[in-house]
Amino acid sequence: MSVFEGLRFRRVSSPIHKLDPRVKFVYVCTAFVVAVMFNELIPLLILFFIQIPFILTARVQREWIRSMKGASLLALIIFVTNLVSRYLYTGHVWSVPLVEYSLGMTFRFIVLVESFSIFFLTTSPDHLSLALEQSHVPYELCFAFTTAVRFVPVLAEEAQTIMDAQRARGLELDRGNFIKRVKNYIPILIPLIVNSIRRSLQLAEAMESRAWGASKKRTNLYILKLRGGDFGIILFSLLTLSIAIYAKRYILIPSIFAFLPI
Amino acid sequence: MAIIETKNLTYTYPGGTTPSISDISLTIKKGEFITLTGPSGCGKTTLCRCFNGLIPHFYSGKLEGDLVVKDLRVIDHSISNLARHVGLVFQNPENQLFALSVEKDVAFGLENVGMPREEIRKRVDWALQMTGIENLRERAPHELSGGQQQRVAIASVLAMQPDVMVLDEPTSFLDPLGAEKIFDVINELNKKLDITVILVEHRLDLASKYTDHVIVMDKGKVLFDGGPREIFASEEVRMTGVGIPKAVMLYQALKDEGIHLKEVPITSKEATQLIREIIIHDRS
Ligand SMILES: Nc1ncnc2c1ncn2[C@@H]1O[C@H](COP(=O)(O)OP(=O)(O)O)[C@@H](O)[C@H]1O
Ligand SMILES: [Mg+2]
Repeated sequence: MSVFEGLRFRRVSSPIHKLDPRVKFVYVCTAFVVAVMFNELIPLLILFFIQIPFILTARVQREWIRSMKGASLLALIIFVTNLVSRYLYTGHVWSVPLVEYSLGMTFRFIVLVESFSIFFLTTSPDHLSLALEQSHVPYELCFAFTTAVRFVPVLAEEAQTIMDAQRARGLELDRGNFIKRVKNYIPILIPLIVNSIRRSLQLAEAMESRAWGASKKRTNLYILKLRGGDFGIILFSLLTLSIAIYAKRYILIPSIFAFLPI
Repeated sequence: MAIIETKNLTYTYPGGTTPSISDISLTIKKGEFITLTGPSGCGKTTLCRCFNGLIPHFYSGKLEGDLVVKDLRVIDHSISNLARHVGLVFQNPENQLFALSVEKDVAFGLENVGMPREEIRKRVDWALQMTGIENLRERAPHELSGGQQQRVAIASVLAMQPDVMVLDEPTSFLDPLGAEKIFDVINELNKKLDITVILVEHRLDLASKYTDHVIVMDKGKVLFDGGPREIFASEEVRMTGVGIPKAVMLYQALKDEGIHLKEVPITSKEATQLIREIIIHDRS
């Protein structure tokens, strides 16, 4: 159930985790905009490296490397596609700028994955839901979101139990061709679905019993407030954006090979 | 003073042909510790659902007779309104916690009624302290044992400061030690805060030492309604197979031998006391 493992948020206490999720989102958007602004490799590399300190401060490097590994195949595809299409487009000549361009495109993708994974690795679902609520997303939606996250480990455990039980009765999961294998999972899925329906009824009952929907003006135990670090990140985002705009307009960005001894 | 009063309460689930509970007439006084017991399928859960309005508002179906809780006719008030007076703790601890942290779960009901944040904070801290789980406040539900989860469920209901707390077999998923702790917490809420407790428990022997009032049901009807010491004399109740305390069985065995204890003991401590009295009496 490694798929579910990946969804499980690990609670760490770090300055990055404590940041307001809305501010982190602003930062992600900034990274996104800047990454899209440039085709050149150098600014994208810079963008890639200035995010590393965040990852280290948040102590999520291991998870981050895992998510980057997950993205690596896609990155490779992007690189090859760009390389080939450029090659065909520019008249069938291999050249250094061709490679640099393709690398740039790949790094644009990597930077996007990097900033999104920083966001999701350092924002607890609780915090995220709170941010959504305070951004006037309907509470029912936020509730559905946190409840889904809450029951991911429960369902994973249940699926495991059912699998073990069905295996003990002689079900062979890893036998046969693709279609057969998919079919093998039906005896797992049916009890899982039936159980989930029963569970959801019990949940609804429990929610009703705790005054669900009693007041139109629902309050919240927590409130998000901007603090020192949050202003720091906003400032950092603005600064990055301004430098990027300036660079885009007034600086001719050199090829990376101008700096490399080739 | 009666806090819950039912008169000829009869209820049939939608699509059902026979009533799941029929002709229930009970009076429950404020501050009582009630144990509701009876064989599986006799309608205990159904009756609990009536107390906080899940029946008839959540489950439709046919409800006849009268049910008044804290001077409110249940039929006329919404579940969310009744939730401030009656808290319901369910059997499965897992399926009544929704939030990603204990603290947030305890706050859930208070948030729903729109209580100011500072007040919620106070109530949450108080409820966590009363149930002895302050150290778990930041934990996620799936990181807790069944017993801890059930204490969180109790805390979340307690935070609403209800007059009545209904617990539907809260310990059936727990090990004996976890169960014992839950009973202690419930007992403390009853004695210290004067909360009326209705505990559904079919292992009567575990609950009897806290109880002042036992209700035994069978096949949707009330079979017995009285003090814990009287119940065990009843042949009818014994036939239903509810777990009778060891001390009471001892009383019965001694009686068969011609040794009469002054009264029916419920705990082994009481039994010891009564037997000692007899021995001292014999010596003198
Ligand atoms: N949601 C439901 N829908 C239809 N029938 C139900 C439902 N819940 C319980 N019943 C029926 O009502 C009767 C009493 O059940 P219940 O109150 O759960 O008993 P207990 O809690 O004492 O074990 C049973 O015959 C059961 O089949
Ligand atoms: Mg039941």
